[in-house]
Amino acid sequence: MNSLFYALPFVMVAVLIIMGLYTVLFKRNLIKMIMGVAIIQNGVNLFLVSLAYREGYVAPIWTSAPDVDMVLPTPHALTLTSIVIGVATTALMLSFVIMLKKHYGTTDSHETRRCKE
Amino acid sequence: MSLDLVNASPAFILGIPLLFAFLTPLADRISKELRDAVFMIGLLLTVLFVAVMSYEVFTAEGWAYVFGAEETGEITRFSFFRIMFVADGFAALATITVAITALGAGIYSFAFMEGQSGMEKFYTLFLLTLAGVNGMILTADLFNLFVWFEVTSIASCGLVAFINYKGKSVEAALKYMFISVIGGLFLLLSIGLLYGEYGILNYFAIAESVNGGVVDRVALSIILVVLAMKASSVPMHMWAPDVYTESPGAVTPFIAITSLGSLFVLFRILFVVFRYSVSTAALGGLLIILGLLSMFVGVSMALKQSDVKRLIAYLSVSQIGYMLLAVGVGFSTLENGDYATFGALALEGGFFHMINDGVYKALLFLSAAAIVYSTGTRNLNKLGGLAHRMPYTTMFFLIGGLSIAGIPPLSGFSSKLLIYKSIYLYHPILAIIALVVSIITFALIGKVFYNAFLGPDLGLSKGEVPTTMLLAMGILTAVVVVFSLFPNYVVAEIVVPAVEALGVTA
Repeated sequence: MNSLFYALPFVMVAVLIIMGLYTVLFKRNLIKMIMGVAIIQNGVNLFLVSLAYREGYVAPIWTSAPDVDMVLPTPHALTLTSIVIGVATTALMLSFVIMLKKHYGTTDSHETRRCKE
Repeated sequence: MSLDLVNASPAFILGIPLLFAFLTPLADRISKELRDAVFMIGLLLTVLFVAVMSYEVFTAEGWAYVFGAEETGEITRFSFFRIMFVADGFAALATITVAITALGAGIYSFAFMEGQSGMEKFYTLFLLTLAGVNGMILTADLFNLFVWFEVTSIASCGLVAFINYKGKSVEAALKYMFISVIGGLFLLLSIGLLYGEYGILNYFAIAESVNGGVVDRVALSIILVVLAMKASSVPMHMWAPDVYTESPGAVTPFIAITSLGSLFVLFRILFVVFRYSVSTAALGGLLIILGLLSMFVGVSMALKQSDVKRLIAYLSVSQIGYMLLAVGVGFSTLENGDYATFGALALEGGFFHMINDGVYKALLFLSAAAIVYSTGTRNLNKLGGLAHRMPYTTMFFLIGGLSIAGIPPLSGFSSKLLIYKSIYLYHPILAIIALVVSIITFALIGKVFYNAFLGPDLGLSKGEVPTTMLLAMGILTAVVVVFSLFPNYVVAEIVVPAVEALGVTA
């Protein structure tokens, strides 16, 4: 029971990543595909945060901390960086879609394949 | 403690372009000439620090630069928790490749991009990509690798879509962005897996404790697929032709160099982190298969192209195959006696081919861009007779083309010869396939040269391209010629240190 409880976040990570991949691969609308990327992003971030968690450990704040072990601080730093990068990439991709809509008049990924012509 | 410029040069290779990337928009407020000058100074200073670092590596020995360390040059047990940059022979080889290409593409873009609006942002993106690629190459920290990977992705996607009044370049950029972002996220996932297991992110610290269990294998597979995808190796190459074709001509070599940079990173991770925990023969075999596929599919897809940039893009995919093949052979021999007989030679050939390929591919892309600049079309069926009005571009294309086809005495021949010699000892059939691909490449270069440059003057060309563009192509040609004339010297001074940095047998 206990081990299942600790496995739950990782199950959730797998669900999120698979959902995201499904959205990217099978949805035709570019905006929905970008949503899929954002879902994968959240899955990976959740994975990093769940990695850091240890039962009974305290938050890694040194000031007046009680003398017990702390959870891993590095994954939190990694997650913050990854969230910031995620915002930048999502914004850039959405702006590409805006320009693509202006040029092609559609956000359907099946109709935006004109490079090969 | 005084600031030791030589010791800190890996940090300056990143710091200078990052600083100048955000100085160019400021300088643009004053005047355009100042903006161009600031960009050029930033580029030259970066090249200077690459030269300083490489000179120190080649004359003395490599070192690790640890950010925030109390004592420079000393590795303590705390060093592995800090961000570490490695300045060894391999990093020198890779940064030299990037620096030469960046210099060519940078000088080329002055005239090529003239008249475009928002050029200060173009220079910002250019310098950020430069910093990102060098960061990927120099870092010895997995999370830092992810950060530079994303910096490179975002900046180079901006460059691809820079001429945004064309829908196709935006389409290519979006495609590249999807590939890079999803790749980057999976890279982060595998970094998380490794961190969860070993609690550290430094390559060398992980290499000490890596045990080759299931988690390690999953992480390794993800890293391999992601970096091979960024390097446009064949099953994952579909983005490369679109991106190379639709990006502005001046930066196409630079986009190609981000691919080469990913390949450098892949090799460093394989050699440094995983070589003691996996079967090198099996992993090397995988690289060989990827390499053969890339070589063969790349060159066969190039056969049917009539667009000059698209054709060179497929040739570039095929050249990536040579490196994967040679390094795969070298990697698979690491743990047995063959390393001394031909494994090291294969690595020399592969690494020499990487630096050669970076330079002559840049030359080819730039001369293709010169064709587009002068005639306004990329269609080989419409082009013809350009040699009458563009003699210099013709010469530059010919040198780059003969080099990519591996015609003696040009530099491509020297590295391909090393590859043939070593892979023939591994398995003769590999050398035969490599030779056949090389012959088809020669035929393709002949086709482009005949169609675009020879024949009667059709009056398509507006004349020779501006002097700065010729200068950029001239610099790259000079490098190709130097590499062609002194291959022994280049191999001994630049390539062998790289092989020794990675291929140390235990």
